[in-house]
Amino acid sequence: MRTYRTSIVALAVLALSAMLAAQGQMPPQPQSPTKGLVRKGKVPVSNEILKTKLPTPAEVDLPNGAHLMVLEDHRLPQVSFQIFISGAGGYYDPPDNAGLASFTASLMREGTTTRTSEQISQRLEVMAASLSVGASVAATEATVSGGSLSEQFPALIEMAADVVLHPSFPEEELARFKQRTRVSLTQVRANPGFLAQEMFQRVVYGDHPGSRLLATIPSLDKTTRDSLVEFHRTHYVPDHAAIAISGDISMAEARTLIESRFAAWKKAGTTPAPVTDPAPISGSKIYFIARPNSVQTNLIVGGQAIERTNPDYDTLQVMNKVLGGGPTGRLFIHLREEKGYTYGIGSSINAPMHRGEWSASTSVRTDVTEPALHDLLAEIAQMRDQPVSDEELADAKRAMIANFALSLETPSQLLNYYVTRWRYHLPADYWDRYAERISAVGKDQAQAVARKYLAAERLQIVAVGDPTKVGDVLKKLGSVETYDADGKRIGSN
Amino acid sequence: MRRLLVMGVVLALGGSLAAVTPPTIKYSDTKLKNGLRLIVAEDHVAPVFSIAVVYNVGSRNEREGRTGFAHLFEHMMFRGSENVGVGEHFYTIFSNGGTMNGTTDKERTLYFETMPANQLEAGMFLEADRMRSLAITKESLDNQRNAVQEERRSRLDDQPYGHTFEAIDEQAIDNPAYKHSVIGSMNDLNAASVDDVASFFRTYYAPNNAIIAVTGDVTTSHVQELARKYFEPVPAQPAPPKVDIAQAPQTAERRLSLDDALARVPRLDISYRIPSSLSPDDDSIRVLALVLGSGRSSRFYETIVRQKQLASSASAFAPDSRGPRLFQIGATPIPGKSLEDLEAAIYAEIERVKTGPIENWEIEKARNTARRQFVGGLQSSLNRAIDLAEYALMYDNPGEINTRYLRLDKLNAAAIQRVAKQYLTPENRSVVITRPKAAAGRGGLQ
Repeated sequence: MRTYRTSIVALAVLALSAMLAAQGQMPPQPQSPTKGLVRKGKVPVSNEILKTKLPTPAEVDLPNGAHLMVLEDHRLPQVSFQIFISGAGGYYDPPDNAGLASFTASLMREGTTTRTSEQISQRLEVMAASLSVGASVAATEATVSGGSLSEQFPALIEMAADVVLHPSFPEEELARFKQRTRVSLTQVRANPGFLAQEMFQRVVYGDHPGSRLLATIPSLDKTTRDSLVEFHRTHYVPDHAAIAISGDISMAEARTLIESRFAAWKKAGTTPAPVTDPAPISGSKIYFIARPNSVQTNLIVGGQAIERTNPDYDTLQVMNKVLGGGPTGRLFIHLREEKGYTYGIGSSINAPMHRGEWSASTSVRTDVTEPALHDLLAEIAQMRDQPVSDEELADAKRAMIANFALSLETPSQLLNYYVTRWRYHLPADYWDRYAERISAVGKDQAQAVARKYLAAERLQIVAVGDPTKVGDVLKKLGSVETYDADGKRIGSN
Repeated sequence: MRRLLVMGVVLALGGSLAAVTPPTIKYSDTKLKNGLRLIVAEDHVAPVFSIAVVYNVGSRNEREGRTGFAHLFEHMMFRGSENVGVGEHFYTIFSNGGTMNGTTDKERTLYFETMPANQLEAGMFLEADRMRSLAITKESLDNQRNAVQEERRSRLDDQPYGHTFEAIDEQAIDNPAYKHSVIGSMNDLNAASVDDVASFFRTYYAPNNAIIAVTGDVTTSHVQELARKYFEPVPAQPAPPKVDIAQAPQTAERRLSLDDALARVPRLDISYRIPSSLSPDDDSIRVLALVLGSGRSSRFYETIVRQKQLASSASAFAPDSRGPRLFQIGATPIPGKSLEDLEAAIYAEIERVKTGPIENWEIEKARNTARRQFVGGLQSSLNRAIDLAEYALMYDNPGEINTRYLRLDKLNAAAIQRVAKQYLTPENRSVVITRPKAAAGRGGLQ
């Protein structure tokens, strides 16, 4: 029964996000969440955390520079793969053609020197295999991924190699792609969550590539076949790539398959330019996007935080779990379960190669915009100003550690842990010591990272909503820059 | 790593191709004394279990003036019971490493959780306590009414095409049980009372109106023992009233035009009435939807999106239903191309399916897709639990999980053409056209 359905919680809270009181303007005195959560303590839970041991993948460096990782798992007759190509993501787009990496990735499937777009689609779908190439406009890498039943996997890898090595970028497919993409880039501007996130990225990252959320129509229009060919030729090199394969296949089988099908993928001897951090943003501000006819206000509050390899990473995750990491977070329990302002609210950390961001996001009905934003900011302030309770800290840490067992069901998810370890040059025993590191986080450390990364002067507030009802509410918090739904600045005060 | 149940035999298929026979799910299917149906499928591939509890109640059971109530009620199931406090249900699951959710559609309300294997008793206790002794208070009702109204706003009222999605069913379906949306109207949500909650709980949340499936790293005997301990004390209730699913046949095309102040691009939705998912035509209908509108090799995509370039997307699907059911087509036109041309091109493809050949590869695609979906779905204990419980509800047969994909081996082109000819006819069709309503201060495409 896969009909329209509706759920108790939106577990994937859109990473929309909402700032902090210009210093001292908001008196943040929240009550601790109480009515939203009552613990009778009668559920017969086991107090032990189930010990789990992660299987480890086989790994080898191939002569062309690519790192091959295979997690063999014969429980089901299927295999999936991912190829991460460093240097082929939108981070490396030419400044005047943002989106070129994503266009290149999308068009690689639209024809090779020996296959038309139609032949590629038909062959894959008859095999019931999946194959996609993607590169987001801010990412440092492109990803080629797919999966199939075991028996089709050799044919799938042959197709994947054809798409990676011999894309032909036919002019007529580029024209069709432009038409379709123009519609989707127009359509997405109707989504208030997108508008909020787009503005948030812009104000948190400034001129840095991290500021981009999607390509723009002008950049799409100026893209030529030559620029696609050139981007592919210079960026799709194996030197720093990782190939991760999991499922019903051995390392020996996988290696033979990859080395034969990708034999023509030769080392280029190039290295992508080093990744740099965004410039720090000084001072917090309020940004409002006027969206007439809105019945809700979308809010994002957040700011620059850390890169993936920062020593504060684990502590920040624990702190975030307490504050807004899902339905057990204070934000959910207070703003939804106690106040009923929203259907979903949460906070998250994006920590890539460069300094990323922390943000909290929600959407609330228009007439509670003021109290909801007040409470959201007050919860953030409380996180900085007061240590978390021993019980909350223990619950958050247990949730994170015990949840590891669930990933043992999915080989591709397990393998992703190892890909992360490889990509960020983390220690070999990084995941074996995960539980130990999380357990060691204390409440003083959790408060210290909140003070540092959730400091009022770091946080930006973005709101999207009805200009006739929300504009004045925001002005009470400080000066507001106002934009229309196309991103044009239409005023400030 | 251990294999999931039975690993199939490798069959040689002419040369290098080899088809592996997928595993079969083995399960027990019993009833407790109070009528609660219990399905257990044990395996030990990962230290994880899942529970799915399906109540045979959805928006189709709502009475007039109470649309949206089944879903609002679902939210009440997280607001505490005799031994579990407000919010403690989900707090306990997440803070012990698990995940959970609840979901409502027209047919049923489903609650589920996945947890580390050592928390089986906690999971069974939590589900049983609320089935037995839900706490019903005005405060909780008002709180969750707000959350649900925000859900309606964020999914429908604040989104482009939100009202279109409601209008499709409202126009095409006459039966009152199936006509309205799951989320319901704001007025009806406002009207829901504590008495409504209490009576709904008594009538529909009875053990004899529910199915529970437990899968993963458990032993069948332990699950059955815990079920007897925690669920058997919940008293059975008289069977709920039967849902009237009848409606008079449609005799003429229906059309509706909507202006949408939030949309930037027009949209075309076409739906046809088809028989319920329990009909023998169901397999043919599902393959018809796939041939016409699923994937980039589908006829709509290849002809209308790629070749004629009339639309940026066009798809077809047939959501399951035990009652009135629709075959739905949705398309977004390319700017500058007319909606009339797009609509005509869709009808031309439908006629071509009826009269022209259906290629062997199109049927092979359907068979392989079903087979891969079956295998892919076995990976997670949660998928297995939900499928077993939902197939038990829908077909009175959890074993559908193992046989559904195999039936497509017998399907042929003639059967697909017959359902296209029988159901995809002009007089059986409803069309909704949505156009952006001009608003100041933003660009758009007409």
